[in-house]
Amino acid sequence: MWWKTLSVVLIIYALLAGLLVPLKSGIQRVEPAYARTKQDVSIRFYGYNTFFAKPAAEPLRVWLYADENNALAARQIRPVNDTILEAVFTMPENLPGGKQSVYLNAIIDHPEAGAALLPAAVELRQDTGMVAMALDPAWMANPVQKLHVQTGFSFPYQNVIYESIRNTYFHVPMWFVLLFLFSASVWYSVKYLRQPLPENDRHAAAYAEAGLLFGVLGLVTGMVWANYTWGKPWSNDIKQLMTAVALLIYLAYFILRRSFDEYEKGARLAAVYNIFAFASLVPLLYIVPRMFASLHPGATGNPAFGSQDLDNTMRAVFYPAIIGWTLLGFWVANLRIRYQRLHDKVMDLEG
Amino acid sequence: MNWRSLIPLLHKEFLLEFRQRYAISGIVLYVFSMVFVVYIASIRVTPPVWNVLFWLIVLFASINAVVKSFVQESGARQLYYYQLADPVVLLLAKIIYNTLLLFVLSTLAFAAYSLVAGNPVKDWPLFGLVLVLGSLGFSIAFTFIASIAAKANNSATLMAILSFPVILPILLTLVRLSSIALRLIQDTSYTRDILNLLAIDVILITLTFVLFPFIWKD
Repeated sequence: MWWKTLSVVLIIYALLAGLLVPLKSGIQRVEPAYARTKQDVSIRFYGYNTFFAKPAAEPLRVWLYADENNALAARQIRPVNDTILEAVFTMPENLPGGKQSVYLNAIIDHPEAGAALLPAAVELRQDTGMVAMALDPAWMANPVQKLHVQTGFSFPYQNVIYESIRNTYFHVPMWFVLLFLFSASVWYSVKYLRQPLPENDRHAAAYAEAGLLFGVLGLVTGMVWANYTWGKPWSNDIKQLMTAVALLIYLAYFILRRSFDEYEKGARLAAVYNIFAFASLVPLLYIVPRMFASLHPGATGNPAFGSQDLDNTMRAVFYPAIIGWTLLGFWVANLRIRYQRLHDKVMDLEG
Repeated sequence: MNWRSLIPLLHKEFLLEFRQRYAISGIVLYVFSMVFVVYIASIRVTPPVWNVLFWLIVLFASINAVVKSFVQESGARQLYYYQLADPVVLLLAKIIYNTLLLFVLSTLAFAAYSLVAGNPVKDWPLFGLVLVLGSLGFSIAFTFIASIAAKANNSATLMAILSFPVILPILLTLVRLSSIALRLIQDTSYTRDILNLLAIDVILITLTFVLFPFIWKD
């Protein structure tokens, strides 16, 4: 059928694009990360996916950026290799706003790879001694402007996350699929209570089973991701705990189904519990995580996936991935339903 | 729906409990045993541990108290009740009765526990409210689950595995509210937690009323 083909195509697309598209250039760290005013400092920038040594039409530009009006441009730039860049800065006499210390963001602009930014890269401190009242004009001499934007198909670079940003197309869709499958399961449970046909019960059970499978996959992909970004696979994050509990609910559902001698009784009570459990899943996944601190993105007050976490290239892979995985989930459930239908026929349950 | 049968049904629950005094005595003894076990097992109970252990005692006592509400009467007699009164009203009577029972039990547990492990409660009105809300939430969820579990042969196991995941949002909110009452965490905006708890209760009780007609018919 067409939707099975579509699911295969979309998942292959998500796998290929998700794993092969490069990341944008980024700055991993700078050395030294500390400077004093009125100094001449040579700072090393360690880039990621950068091409510092590659000849380009326009020269590279490097800034240390304090705020909209104040930025320092590098006096001298020397690429060591593709990923290491040395830039010499003459630090000004004083700091904007008469502060004692400012954190400067590092910006490297490459004509082809685009601009890369590292927030709070260098701390600049006011040196002791007499300080001039007027702000050093060096801050305004070379404003950050005409930054290049990389036009090719690439994913955003983010510190800490690095290449694991690709897991967005595998970890996050699992939760969408889980929700769709459990909703379908509840829908058929309601249908079963209105019209007790074995077919409705088979659907409800199969969707719950497939949903459970995707829940486990979501948990595992999340643990792989957490191992890289949070340092360990299980941090007792509130969402991890709630997911584990949600999976327990559905395991209990399967035990309840098998606890009765009569098929009809088990199916009916399991349908009732399915609806009840789904309703308590809502507080579990949407209310409780709001009450506790979480390591997940967009955690403060909003456990959902923040829209600012995606850019347009990611959307071009993320949305097809959701559709592909959802179709695959329903395909798995469909196979299960067909197997169970044949099984019931052989066991002569339908007469 | 015939609400007039609510009072006689409630009366029946109390009468049943009074005549089968060994059941309630068993639960009370259960609570005291658990409190004593906690006392022996833990040398020094700090307020955070006190909080968690207290709610665990209440949780286990509640499950054991509520599980009997459907198994103590024979299936034939229950069928007879369902002919006399609206099943939903019967369930409501059981929920109200269990709420009162659980409130008494948790107060007893609190008294016994404070006696052996000390009493760190600072905000008494809030703690009292948490006890009431806890009894209400536990009663709604456990009564409904008990009505499902009572249909199976292994009802005690089923009761535990079916109710633990469902009760968790309620339990977590209760522990949080009670740690505010114990001044373990500073949070002045706990009205939102109370509203969450009430919202969960409303969801559960609505579902209970909608779904119970499908449970009692055999």
